[in-house]
Amino acid sequence: MAKNTADDANTFTVTTRFETLARRPGGLRREEALQAAQTAVEEIAPDFGNWADRELEQLIAAVRCIDPKSPDLKVLVEAVAVHARRVRDVGTTMGYELLTFVADKLCEILEAVEAGAEYRQNLVDCHLEALLLSRQERYRNMKPDQVPELSAGLVEMGKMIASPPIAK
Amino acid sequence: MANPTINFRDLVIVVADPNSYFCMVIHGMLRSFGANKVIEIRDGLGVLQILNNQKVDVVLCDARLPPYGGLKLAHAIRNNRNNENRTVPILVLTSDTRSSTVKTARDVGANMVLTKPTSPASLYDRLAWIAFNPRKFVDTETYFGPDRRFKIEGYPGGVGRRKGDKAAVEIGDAEGPALSQGDIDSLFSNARTGQE
Repeated sequence: MAKNTADDANTFTVTTRFETLARRPGGLRREEALQAAQTAVEEIAPDFGNWADRELEQLIAAVRCIDPKSPDLKVLVEAVAVHARRVRDVGTTMGYELLTFVADKLCEILEAVEAGAEYRQNLVDCHLEALLLSRQERYRNMKPDQVPELSAGLVEMGKMIASPPIAK
Repeated sequence: MANPTINFRDLVIVVADPNSYFCMVIHGMLRSFGANKVIEIRDGLGVLQILNNQKVDVVLCDARLPPYGGLKLAHAIRNNRNNENRTVPILVLTSDTRSSTVKTARDVGANMVLTKPTSPASLYDRLAWIAFNPRKFVDTETYFGPDRRFKIEGYPGGVGRRKGDKAAVEIGDAEGPALSQGDIDSLFSNARTGQE
């Protein structure tokens, strides 16, 4: 580890074991590695539907537990957000880009509520319906821009929750 | 370097994410790349325990990893002076790509941020980037981690003075627009030209 001074900082060279081992000859070529990984993802894919259905069931159950007047609203909302994030984080990888998009929009709304925005059941319900729709097999491999009305509607809803409610 | 080949055999790779399905997908990708020593962990305390007990070659951790988040975990790893894994490459996985989050990841010493959902290509290429673009480490009163002013091949040079080492990093609420993976890569690679 060679140490020297640059400006007011100590800088030094570290050759990590990761660099050393990763550079050894004998690894798969990038194209081969990616092809193998894609095959692995496709082997997992048939199970994704069951997993996503279970997550969505739990998500909907968690939504039903939300009482907007509860002092524990943030905790209740976070219980929903956990499932929304899980679905969002793997949807596209498994071929459900639209599902990831919808889950992402729901996450934005839930995060806004956790940050203090008003909880609006009707907006959440719309996202639940969109989630169930985008989970269907016929929406697999679809991108948000292939269902522009749905996508634009969810984007608009996100803007609504970002705006303060109109005082009555 | 065009299309470098990584040898994953015997690399000890920690994948830390509370989502078991996500872990399984990433684990599957890494095994397909040739990795044979992948450890799945669900929380940050488990990561610290592993790092205290054995040599780890790379850590992939979720930015929201419970209980304190992956960014605080990265900060803790970099600031543990007594651990041999202090300089381990850290790849932060997140779907929160707001600029403030990405910059904070950089400022706590993460080597790279990888967006979720993750494709095999994006995972492979970021690991290749870490392996084949080694960076010096910097040790200041307020920062320990990979040099944030580094040069990538083909990028115009020009080094600014090191005045940007920020005071203690606050990991607060994320702000700013969402960034694409390309934006994030640029953020990690542009600092040498004086861009934030």
